[in-house]
Amino acid sequence: MQPELLFFIGKGGVGKSTVSATTAFHFSGLSQKTLLVSMDPAHNQRDIFENSFSETPRPVNACLSVKEVDTDFWIQKYLKETEKTVKATYHYESAFNLDSYFNVLQFSPGLEEYALLLAFDAIIASSPGASRIIFDMAPTALSLRFLALPSVTLIWLEELMKLRNKIIAKKEIITKIKIGKKQIETDKIRSRLDGLIKKYRRLDRIFQAAETRINLVMNDDRMSFSEALRIKAKLQEIGMHIHTVVVNRAMNGSIPGYISETFNDQRIALFPMEKNGLMGCAAIENYISDNAASFKEFG
Amino acid sequence: MKLPGIHIIKKKMAAAFKVADEVMRGKAVSAMEYETGELDHIFTLLVLGMFVGIPSPPIHITMELLPDMEEALAGMIDKVSTAHDPLGDLFSVLEID
Repeated sequence: MQPELLFFIGKGGVGKSTVSATTAFHFSGLSQKTLLVSMDPAHNQRDIFENSFSETPRPVNACLSVKEVDTDFWIQKYLKETEKTVKATYHYESAFNLDSYFNVLQFSPGLEEYALLLAFDAIIASSPGASRIIFDMAPTALSLRFLALPSVTLIWLEELMKLRNKIIAKKEIITKIKIGKKQIETDKIRSRLDGLIKKYRRLDRIFQAAETRINLVMNDDRMSFSEALRIKAKLQEIGMHIHTVVVNRAMNGSIPGYISETFNDQRIALFPMEKNGLMGCAAIENYISDNAASFKEFG
Repeated sequence: MKLPGIHIIKKKMAAAFKVADEVMRGKAVSAMEYETGELDHIFTLLVLGMFVGIPSPPIHITMELLPDMEEALAGMIDKVSTAHDPLGDLFSVLEID
């Protein structure tokens, strides 16, 4: 069974990490096995839980584990694996000439969100027992590029596949005319494209599934509201929708009118301001017991 | 009366016909082979363009296809050195002197 995936996205500094941490803690308190994943390079979860985390999930209580995604680890792992495959299939001189390219590829634009996607895929594959996986996302730009990656990649792959099929069809006609009988071309590139299309369709299905919920965190201020509007529009462009809007650090106990009017298609959760800050499991537990109603929108 | 060596003549004629057939078939597809080759170059440029300074698709697509594209990569780099005379290349296929 696919676990429920909760993404918390929003402008930097609105409190995505504290909302993710308290929500994860809330579900673990209901005896639901929960994994909290920090995808934000700032990795605030270690401060909130006053603990150190790494790529290996670390239990915080009986039902909650926390993991930090290390993008550098995933980039290096991916580059090394690709380099190894290239060296195994290329002639020595060609592979030798590519060495210098591999040294600079780690700085290529786009690799950071791809590293997040690799980590995401590995997390889904290795967490069969979790009821919920909660993702504390990076600031807006990187999160949106990550969420759009499967659909953008599919556009490229499907166009490349069309071109490849055209080339192969022509090669088959040429062979038929030259030798007088049809020979089916076996093309490694087409096989690889086919495998990639299947992989990205699977990831795209996970992103579009009903169990995947994008939650937008904002504060009651114009800056985070403006960015929230841009996030909503960008998500719509890639066919994704906001499940719940979280108004974090709410001061007066009610949802501001301009937010409820703008996000009238979404559920809205109110997370009151915690004056003393949320540091340590005891503080999180107190916050949850004082504000149980805040979590009802997440099911 | 059966002429000696008639079967040799038949064999030679068959061989000559076979050669002529191959030549004609080769001529029939030469333009299509050129077109297919160019489509292959376009595919290579789309995937591996970053190696010759052309904006490429998302980097992970290049990386995923790279292991199966050694020949295409070598061909593209060779093509860069002869790219100053694309019309000469086309004219030779169309047999224009």
